[in-house]
Amino acid sequence: MSKQWSGVNRRELIGGAVAFGLTAPLMVYARPQKRQKAQVVIVGGGYGGVTTAKYLKKENPNLDVVLIEERPFFMSCPMSNHFLTGLMELTPLCFSYNVLEVKHGIRVLNDKVLGVELDKKVVRTSSGYIAYDYLVLSPGIDYDVEDKPFYKESLVYNPPAFKPGSEHIYLKRLIEDFEGGDIVITVPPPPYRCPPAPYERAALIASMIKKNNLKAHIYFIDANERPIINSEGFLSAYYDLYKDIATYITSAQVRDIDIHKRVVKTSHGDFKYDLANIIPPMKASGLLEDAGLLRKGQKWVEVNPLTFESSVKNVFVIGDACQSYLPKSGYAAHSEGKMVAKIINARIKGKEVKEEYLQMICYAMVSDKEAIMTEIAFRYDTVSKRFVPTHREDNQRKESTAKRYEEWARGLWRDLFS
Amino acid sequence: MDRRDFIKTCGTVAVASMIDASFFSQALAQQKDGMFQAYKKALLVKQDGSPLKEEDIKPHVNYIFFYPYASTPCYLLNLGEEVPPLEIKLKDGKSYQWSGGVGSKKSIVAYSAICAHQWSYPTPQYSFINYYPPDTPSETTKKAGIIQCCAHLALYDPKAGGSVIDGPAEFPLASIVLQEEGGNFYAVGVLGKDQFQEFFDNYRTELRQQYGSTAKARELVDKCIVMEVDKYVQAVVRC
Repeated sequence: MSKQWSGVNRRELIGGAVAFGLTAPLMVYARPQKRQKAQVVIVGGGYGGVTTAKYLKKENPNLDVVLIEERPFFMSCPMSNHFLTGLMELTPLCFSYNVLEVKHGIRVLNDKVLGVELDKKVVRTSSGYIAYDYLVLSPGIDYDVEDKPFYKESLVYNPPAFKPGSEHIYLKRLIEDFEGGDIVITVPPPPYRCPPAPYERAALIASMIKKNNLKAHIYFIDANERPIINSEGFLSAYYDLYKDIATYITSAQVRDIDIHKRVVKTSHGDFKYDLANIIPPMKASGLLEDAGLLRKGQKWVEVNPLTFESSVKNVFVIGDACQSYLPKSGYAAHSEGKMVAKIINARIKGKEVKEEYLQMICYAMVSDKEAIMTEIAFRYDTVSKRFVPTHREDNQRKESTAKRYEEWARGLWRDLFS
Repeated sequence: MDRRDFIKTCGTVAVASMIDASFFSQALAQQKDGMFQAYKKALLVKQDGSPLKEEDIKPHVNYIFFYPYASTPCYLLNLGEEVPPLEIKLKDGKSYQWSGGVGSKKSIVAYSAICAHQWSYPTPQYSFINYYPPDTPSETTKKAGIIQCCAHLALYDPKAGGSVIDGPAEFPLASIVLQEEGGNFYAVGVLGKDQFQEFFDNYRTELRQQYGSTAKARELVDKCIVMEVDKYVQAVVRC
């Protein structure tokens, strides 16, 4: 059996198959006949999924929790710009899911989810069906490239590195191999995963060029009219530190990419490149569209903003895939995971959970040593029926903020994997 | 009280009674939710080894010592005014009676300096969790007279048993129970939800490097050297 189960023995699997009337080769995780535990299935082992699983078990160790993740290891997207530009090794960003099984009793299934059948309350994987009482979907993003073939073609040559894993490793090699010339980095319109990430990446690549004294120029092509977060901090860093080696082009749309001639065509002219980091527009994982949770034309799943519950009862969508008042980020997914774990545990016990507005805090490097940060609190405006953010930005670049940034990430990793 | 709590209570009370008879009733009273844990009684001393006296604890200076284990940091603060006792209610429904300040003005308090959110703690290199005196508010949150962790902006109130004021922490800072006897100060136990297990689980590598082995890092202490945090930590990171 190539797919790895934990906590499920062969007899249970076969018994399950019989119980569901399925034939081989599908394997089934069955709910025992006299089940006393509620069962939660979580799809996606990123920040949202892992947090939900861990906090469900932390509050209720008897709960039966299954986490399905296709990748065998966790890799963090937060701090991955450090990795791309040589400020951090890959090792600290990677974690094994084993600890979730061994220490917390979460059943981790290393498998691909093929579909979700909401009417039957089952998740279909390449190994079979898994039934649930509560479902938490945290599958992350897909690149929104279907109607723009040039973006799709570019993915292979110019990895966006917004999905953790091999894209990062390949982009790092391209950056390391770069010896001079023109670099193009593009930023899509929001919402996309991690608002400060493209701006941080541009700054760190510029910082590398400066440090290595390369003959190079960065064309930083932004669909937005200014950085969408910490605008003052990023702009002053670009101006103070990189004005001779970078050109920031705003409100520009990417119209075509010629991967053979290495040219990005935009509303503001054509840009040749020797190295490109093309970050395409994004949308929720296709799994959610297939499940029927996205209406035609919708990019993100609408959820109840306080509970992250979708239009289907006891089905929650968290992390970057949902349309929430929080920016799309690992930190937000982590907070949402905690919230949803609380709600599910309360529902199982027949209790209510107090309404809570989540907060955001995120950091960004603007050079190899200095960072800026922002904290966002939210309040609900009953008149406009919208969440109103209050930003507390610290746009003074500081080395101490860079240290806080690292501690911020390490704290999250401790929380996820200890 | 279930069987486990009962046994834990008996065990704790037995330890407490061995330590100090006068403390027995107080510890028992605080046992309601098993939130008090007695440890070795440890004398607070200055760096020269002599007992720490009240006049040595300057108002609003952030002092550090290690208790109950050799590696678990605590902050000692003289808040400059009487800090009355308080009932602390936790989000999980448990509660405990925090006994307030000690010393002639009842102004001296101590807390575990392991952030209850994601376990940031003062190391010889950095401290992200720090005390902000009334005249030195945080640049980020503008609050003063608080203990704040700069990693995720967890804010705690040292005047209120380490309760959470704002930010992501789910629990207050654990409080270190101090006793004054004949002008000397002793740490005798920990009140509230301590984070020691998480601390030892998360920092095995760091503790091995600093203390030689995790066993040494876990040794219970009977004496605590108290020093200003700036003297222990190379870079105190305030925000």
